[in-house]
Amino acid sequence: MTGDETGSAADMTARITSGVRASGAGCSRVAPDWLLRGEVGLCPCGCIGRRRKADFVEKTLRGGATVMRQAMFGEDLAAHDGLLQRVDARVKVVTLVGLLVAAALVRHIPVLVGIYAGTLALAVASGLSLAFFVKRVWLFVPVFTGIVVLPATLNVVTGGDIVVPLGHWWFGHDIGVTEQGLTAAGLIVSRVAVSISLVVLLTLTTPWSRLTAALRALLVPRLFIQVMAMAYRYIFELLGSVDDMYTARTSRMVAPEADTRAGRSFVSATAGALFGKAHGLSEEVHLAMVSRGYTGDVRTLESFRVGAVELLWIIGCAAAAAAVLGVDRVLGR
Amino acid sequence: MSSAADADPGAAGAVLDGPVLATAEVSYAYLGRFPALDRVSLEVARGERVALLGANGCGKSTLLKVLDGLLAPDAGTFTAFGAQVTEDRLEDEQFNRGFRSRVGFIFQNSDAQVFSPTVREEIAFGPLNMALPRDLVEARVADTLAMLEIGDLADRAPYQLSGGQKKRVAIASVLVMNPEVLLFDEPTAALDPRTGQWLTELIVDLHEAGKTIVLATHDLATLDVLADRCVVFSEDHRIVAEGPPADVLGRTDLLLGVNLIHERSRVARRAPPPRT
Amino acid sequence: MHIPDGYLSPATCGALGVAMVPAWSGAGRRVRRVVKSRYVPLLAIGAAYVFLVMMLNVPVPDGTTAHAVGAVLVAVILGPWAAVIAVSIALAIQALFFGDGGILSYGANAFNMALVMTMVGYYGVYRPLTRRVSLTAPRRAVAAALGGYVGINAAALCCGIELGIQPTLFHTAGGAPLYAPYHLSQAVPAMLLAHLTVAGGVEFALTLGVVTYLQRANLPILRINHDAVPETAADLVRPPGRPRWWYALLPMAVMALATPLGLLAHAGAFGEDDPRAGRASFLRKNHLSAVPGGLDRFANLWHHALFNGYDFSHDHHPSVGYVVSAFFGAAVVSGAIFTLFGLSRVVRRRSGPTGRGGLELTDGGRLGA
Repeated sequence: MTGDETGSAADMTARITSGVRASGAGCSRVAPDWLLRGEVGLCPCGCIGRRRKADFVEKTLRGGATVMRQAMFGEDLAAHDGLLQRVDARVKVVTLVGLLVAAALVRHIPVLVGIYAGTLALAVASGLSLAFFVKRVWLFVPVFTGIVVLPATLNVVTGGDIVVPLGHWWFGHDIGVTEQGLTAAGLIVSRVAVSISLVVLLTLTTPWSRLTAALRALLVPRLFIQVMAMAYRYIFELLGSVDDMYTARTSRMVAPEADTRAGRSFVSATAGALFGKAHGLSEEVHLAMVSRGYTGDVRTLESFRVGAVELLWIIGCAAAAAAVLGVDRVLGR
Repeated sequence: MSSAADADPGAAGAVLDGPVLATAEVSYAYLGRFPALDRVSLEVARGERVALLGANGCGKSTLLKVLDGLLAPDAGTFTAFGAQVTEDRLEDEQFNRGFRSRVGFIFQNSDAQVFSPTVREEIAFGPLNMALPRDLVEARVADTLAMLEIGDLADRAPYQLSGGQKKRVAIASVLVMNPEVLLFDEPTAALDPRTGQWLTELIVDLHEAGKTIVLATHDLATLDVLADRCVVFSEDHRIVAEGPPADVLGRTDLLLGVNLIHERSRVARRAPPPRT
Repeated sequence: MHIPDGYLSPATCGALGVAMVPAWSGAGRRVRRVVKSRYVPLLAIGAAYVFLVMMLNVPVPDGTTAHAVGAVLVAVILGPWAAVIAVSIALAIQALFFGDGGILSYGANAFNMALVMTMVGYYGVYRPLTRRVSLTAPRRAVAAALGGYVGINAAALCCGIELGIQPTLFHTAGGAPLYAPYHLSQAVPAMLLAHLTVAGGVEFALTLGVVTYLQRANLPILRINHDAVPETAADLVRPPGRPRWWYALLPMAVMALATPLGLLAHAGAFGEDDPRAGRASFLRKNHLSAVPGGLDRFANLWHHALFNGYDFSHDHHPSVGYVVSAFFGAAVVSGAIFTLFGLSRVVRRRSGPTGRGGLELTDGGRLGA
């Protein structure tokens, strides 16, 4: 604690004291002593303590920030003028789901790799940077899947012909990687990667509001679509509340939370208070809707078009799906 | 009340010489336990600007909700455009549509009012509920966007808007229905000074265009510009005074008593000392 | 528990999706009937809330964090059918926006987390346990938490079964699994292990914490779904039943009748092989050439067992033998415990009301009454 700091603390104390005493005319409230003195021990330079792992507060805050960032980034990309952005949202949804089904029916890894190459081409044609696209697709689920299915390559899980013997396990049983195991692992990882690529292509090139409206084409009831659109809207609203609550806590914490019980208690209280706010908000929203004539029916200002671009796209997708399934059949069962 | 008690408020061109909105001895308590209004009687004439004044929790917002048919009073009656408004009456589609299109409410919390995925859809919400034809709705939305100078926000999502922008969108979403009566709940609260000034001027313009305005506020500074008549609520949910702004603002003893000012407010110091 | 695309075959996804359609339409109809026009904002907020609950990191004892689902919590607050829709929509937003859970497998995820978890947790656990309990009673919060725990494990079980049947039903001609590669015997234990311990615990803790908080700080929220429930214990018309000792008879009988299930496994329990029963098979199984000396000596220590094995020396109906053994054994053990408690009560009474001997029975020694 330097002399400067104690000096400024004393200034602040003097200001508080004079302010409190001045307004005390006619009122009997006097600030307690500890409030009028400086506080020792809290060095602002951060020299106390080492860098610590993120605790649950930070993790939740970071999770919230990720949600916001994804939303912002997504809307930007959807505004580009690439191939997929030009296709009508409804058509995109239906054709991409069709391609997903086709990919799910494929039985050979080379065919899946071919579809993946196709998604890369579409990404480039739509103005998405390849590095970003690959990172976005592969960074979590496919890698995680790879780890999860690694034991499945062993003969203990997937019986069959051992191609990479790994020695003996207990009492003379052989252990090794089977061909069937490798095929299984390869199939599932490539399938997961292809599926996520297709979905990411859809969501990055379609603004959220059009995407929710486009689900009508998949016969999703209007009620669900309206609730989903509104829920998306209010996630951000409530996220702000969660952020406030957690930041307020962080600003009051001197040391990271060591007691997980207290931590859980805080999370529960946050979740509980969050519902109170959420409920209050929903009541107000309801009144606002009723005030403008809402009676329970859902009406929206959608306008979908099916033009030349859409027709070409549909034909292209149908041809690709047929080709993929055909090649797959030819390669055998 | 008048013999037109059963008239349809949506009837086009209905000429009224009576008050546009009138409550008689209305009482309301939240959840049956927390009183908000205590025998409140108020009449609002066509083209009038009424300001509801009072501390937080005195019932101003509740009265506004009653005036918009959003809350059914526990006691007393509410009449609009010559016809009594009850929960049952509002179940009728025709009545509801007529009423909702003629009374607009701008809430204090813009986040509750801007709930659609984009600004354009938000503004279109009201007219679509009125079952107006699609092209008419689109035209009106475009006009309203231009009038309030928010055309560039048309395809943005609500979370991307600032507080002032959200307020404009909220107002746009109500004005697009062209209501005759506008209810504002704390319009300038939480607005930056420039937006607050813009809003004050807008309210003045709307009044000159013939709209009836009722606003709840505790901002005393702009009252002389915004209101023809002030109605003061006490902290026990009753109306204790009515009159032109100059009169009401001069009665510092009254304003102190209802917790609208405190001893050191500039208003209190400016007014002449209370006569003993 | 969110299953990505690629783990389930299109047939499985389709079947579960089709199963969800009547659930969703039924839920929609019920919610609309109860809450009328208020349901859209209420469901939307409910869905946003579930999404955020799934995002909250809950600290667990080992220092890391885990996630809860919150389906039963929302069911307790908004009602089970509203919860089905709210969770379904939160899952849809996660799938579309985050890639957390696949598009084709959306039906399966909704089936597990929105339908099974909610219904099992709410109607299977919460409602039966809170029949005559007041709104502010701690028992209600515990029942909700238990519902969450059981619900998430039921969902995990379904998830494990869905994943586990894939290799058997869908494989190439060469035997390679086309989708999820783990068999039922591997997938189900793996899913259940993670959820019986960490995930279930987190769900329990979060549900308990939130319901307790609402009971204390915001009771009107709980009123949404519990309109007619009396507020405090004082308002109860009839107090809730205390658990009596004979409540335990039914679960015990069920467990006793289930003991023959063990016969399905053809191997014995690990480490319980008896060299006396079959010397050659013992040696072969453990890859030994001779029985270890100590094992041989002590295996024959006790000669005076009443019966020879649970199945009465491999008679023709071993299941019957097992069931009879189970009932007999349970009766003997219960008898022993009752006798022990009775004796301790007698000893305590002997040493006076302030005596320090014996066990303190919290319900005044009514156990066994």
